[in-house]
Amino acid sequence: MGDRPEVGRLVRASAQGDEAAWIELVRRFTPRVMAVIRSYRLTGADAQDVSQTVWLRLVEHLGGLREPEALPGWLRVTTEHECDRQRQRGRRTVPVDPHCGEAMNRPSTEDVEAAIVRAELRQALRDGLAELPERDQALLRAYALAEPYKDITQLLQMKTGSVGPTLRRCLDRLRRTQALRAYLGSTPAAEKQKGGDRFELAPLD
Amino acid sequence: MDERHIRAAQAAFTWRTVDADLEILGLETELAPAGTAQVRGSPGSPRMFTFHGERLSVALEIDEDGIVGQLTPPGPARVTLLTAGGPQAATEADEVGCFSLPPPPPGPMRLDCQRGADRFLTEWTSA
Repeated sequence: MGDRPEVGRLVRASAQGDEAAWIELVRRFTPRVMAVIRSYRLTGADAQDVSQTVWLRLVEHLGGLREPEALPGWLRVTTEHECDRQRQRGRRTVPVDPHCGEAMNRPSTEDVEAAIVRAELRQALRDGLAELPERDQALLRAYALAEPYKDITQLLQMKTGSVGPTLRRCLDRLRRTQALRAYLGSTPAAEKQKGGDRFELAPLD
Repeated sequence: MDERHIRAAQAAFTWRTVDADLEILGLETELAPAGTAQVRGSPGSPRMFTFHGERLSVALEIDEDGIVGQLTPPGPARVTLLTAGGPQAATEADEVGCFSLPPPPPGPMRLDCQRGADRFLTEWTSA
């Protein structure tokens, strides 16, 4: 697009505190943000919340955007994430008794254990990522960012055939990190789960 | 074009911070524990959030009674609830890092956690 260099200038100026540049940036990109929000069929206060959250976040990410010209992509992904969250927000979480299907007042111990399993996996993934070379980390992060509905957890559970060779090798290295081997080798909380919530990190052949 | 959205977005610039020592805690999950159902619009059910950073994590449970949270690693801190309109409430986390705050108003919110010389802000989100 012809106006990319101009976008870069506006981003850099905003990051340095130029409010006029920020106002121009907002004016220019609000239609795109709103288009994403509309595509999720969010309206009224929901739409307003998403839009405001996205711009509030951008204020803080201005300095961190490595390539200011990538702003349109950043806005789209961030808005999609927020729309998704806003939709979830509409569906409040209610604990349910699995035997009768009725709502319960408190989460069961199984819920708490499932949460612990997820927390342990997250920690293992974070530690595993830290062990990888910068290039692998960047690739995994970029991939997770580009796919709003996938995180690295899901990536690890993907079928071998559905990822490209570079990403495959990268994921393989992640699996072989000490952190993930340790997690997979001893997951006491996970063992207690019968199927269901256990994360399967299938080995690549 | 919706002028209201544009004005709100432009006003976000007042939150620009140049504090290099500040750490932003990323929203990692909104936990819907296993064995729960997502039921549209049912009041009274808590929503759970976790925010993670290099040196501090915050777990939150929010319902109409208010916010209950815990900091990891545990320990005291000054915790302030912020909205785009400014600070709404503040409290002190106890020795195990637990704190409670009144329910957040609608719209984007975040917590500002001050522990000693360190300052942490959770990413903006809507409760």
